[in-house]
Amino acid sequence: MFSTHSLASFENIHPIVEYMTFNNVPLETVTILLLFPFIATLVVLLRQVIGLQAFGIYTPSIIAIAFIAMGRHDVGGVQYAIAIYIAVLTIGMLMRYTMQKLRLLYLPRVAITITVVTICTLLILTAGGVMGRIGFAQAELFAILIIVTLVEKFVAVQIEKGSRPALILAIETLIIALISYFLMSTSTSTGLAVTEFILEHPYSILLLIPFHIFLGRWTGLRASEYMRFRDVIDKIQ
Amino acid sequence: MSLLTFFQKGSAILGMNARNLTYIRPHNLKNAKRLADDKIASKRLLKKAGVPVPRLIAKVSSHATLDHYDFSTLPNSFVLKPNQGLGGSGILIVYGRKKGRNDAWVKSNGKIVTIDDIKAHIRNILDGAFSLSGSPDIAFFEERLQLSPKLKPYAYKGIPDIRIIIYNSVPVMAMLRLPTKESDGKANLQQGGIGVGIDMATGTTTTSVIGKSKLIDYIPGSRLLLKGVKIPHWDDMLLLAVKAQKASGLGFLGADVAIDRERGPVFLELNARPGLSIQVANLAGLKRRLERVEGLKIKSAEHGVRVGKNLFGGEIEQELEETSGKSVIGSVEKVTFHGVNDKKIEVEAKIDTGAYSTSIDYELARQLGFGELVDYWKKIDLSKLSLERGKGRTIETQLLKEHQKNIPQLHDVSVIFASSGVSARPVVKIIFEMDKRTITAKVNIVDRSDLTYPSIIGKRNLHRFLVDVSK
Repeated sequence: MFSTHSLASFENIHPIVEYMTFNNVPLETVTILLLFPFIATLVVLLRQVIGLQAFGIYTPSIIAIAFIAMGRHDVGGVQYAIAIYIAVLTIGMLMRYTMQKLRLLYLPRVAITITVVTICTLLILTAGGVMGRIGFAQAELFAILIIVTLVEKFVAVQIEKGSRPALILAIETLIIALISYFLMSTSTSTGLAVTEFILEHPYSILLLIPFHIFLGRWTGLRASEYMRFRDVIDKIQ
Repeated sequence: MSLLTFFQKGSAILGMNARNLTYIRPHNLKNAKRLADDKIASKRLLKKAGVPVPRLIAKVSSHATLDHYDFSTLPNSFVLKPNQGLGGSGILIVYGRKKGRNDAWVKSNGKIVTIDDIKAHIRNILDGAFSLSGSPDIAFFEERLQLSPKLKPYAYKGIPDIRIIIYNSVPVMAMLRLPTKESDGKANLQQGGIGVGIDMATGTTTTSVIGKSKLIDYIPGSRLLLKGVKIPHWDDMLLLAVKAQKASGLGFLGADVAIDRERGPVFLELNARPGLSIQVANLAGLKRRLERVEGLKIKSAEHGVRVGKNLFGGEIEQELEETSGKSVIGSVEKVTFHGVNDKKIEVEAKIDTGAYSTSIDYELARQLGFGELVDYWKKIDLSKLSLERGKGRTIETQLLKEHQKNIPQLHDVSVIFASSGVSARPVVKIIFEMDKRTITAKVNIVDRSDLTYPSIIGKRNLHRFLVDVSK
């Protein structure tokens, strides 16, 4: 998924990682797997302390990975990832209104939505190809699929909580994915530094555990709740 | 307010993190939570515990049962619900049969629902479209409650319900939830309903919020004031909620109770994960209240209700006075009028927000030293005046000009259109005291000899007061 070219240029890769790559585990796989706990940490932090809801922890993390994978610097495809993401949301919204009249069962309804999303994705990819993004059009199948399957989550939330909450959650998920992208993609300078740090200190993922234990017991108000309850706080003596 | 005190005050508020970790996790155990998520099972259990619930009409647990279900047995009005629906989603309410049709009903928005529509809705429910994590579900029909006339003006179509938070057998906070046009007749705040805070001691409404956090005073698009509504059956309702907590085993419970026109309070739903907006509706922090009842020894449901009422009630009047600078008065108040030559007379006056100005009876006016004016006015022949709307001001000026030179006590003349008819009344300037406040008022004089109170205070002189009709 990654361009090994840029990763291999890191000088102080930790011996554990070197041992893994020596035994045919691709360096890009190791990097992605090592990044995963960091992305999850970011999601937890944004949820528990800031109050960005998003679709749980798995969906934003995996979409962040998809963004990072698609946005590798020799392809420069993060804008396509965003385009597909937005297409998924738009179609999800439109389909809800058009299909309400058809009175279909839930699963066939989602299946139709997936079909339309697929067509749109193909169009976006072809457009990318026409504009000369050959590498992009050929690769990242799983990254694309990950974004496309977001549609089920989106439709489910739409039915459960309504269009507005679903859209808000989807935008929050996008924000988290973009923050992850800027912090961890090798095509940004901070991302490059973070990746280098992780490959040099792979054991650092263990240090995340005590941090999570702390967050897991933290009962303070979230930043968003200070906003939501500001009128109440004003009234308290 | 400095940032530091802002954050310190935040500790009175219950946030998601604390709700989940401190209250739900240790107090709402798995089995109890499962019960709350299963509406049919909780209905059965509560009924057994002597808590009134809406009657179950029928349940549809599979596609096979649906195929054989006889829809003609359904009553004229009913509610269709998913057994494990979340946040009020997937609920279908019909209000009556479509005239002349046996296979169609009418929804709150006037739309027609046919048997096919209902079947499709049930199939969606069975497929888990409304349940937690999309797992297959059961659909059921239950009796539709009849709106209590007292709350009728405040609810758009659906049934308002009352959410009560119970902790350690004590009702700690409550809110009236009103369905609106936006919420499609459902009372959930997430769906655009209105939440109205309730004073725990008296069951009287306080402050209101629409949606998640917008504060309002009136029902949008109307002049209905949301403050000061007395909830009927308040004590019974609290007792019901505490009993439901005991029966359900949910230590931290959001109890939803509604009022049926005939049956009185009926328990609607157990909620193991009550929302936090109730704090905005009440403009009060839930966490501080929960901490106050933590560890109290509560002997019975009645005891719990008493404790809740004592701890979390009665503050509204003082609060209102502090925030609005207005004092709260009842619909009848003691008023002291200052007459001519400092003569003071105390009477009971009716507080009437429907009247524009303040009036006193002839006899009271006489006692206050306006006898001369009263006698003079009684002698004038007013029958020749054609008193009609639009001409009031002209007649007032004309009368004032004509008579003021004869009787200097006359300050003004007022033509009043009241339910009892039109009259031209003499007006005097009087100082009166009510609830420790002194007001200078233009008071008109009229014959009130056959009425209970010798005076009414009209809204022109009430801008420094709030009227609590239950007082």
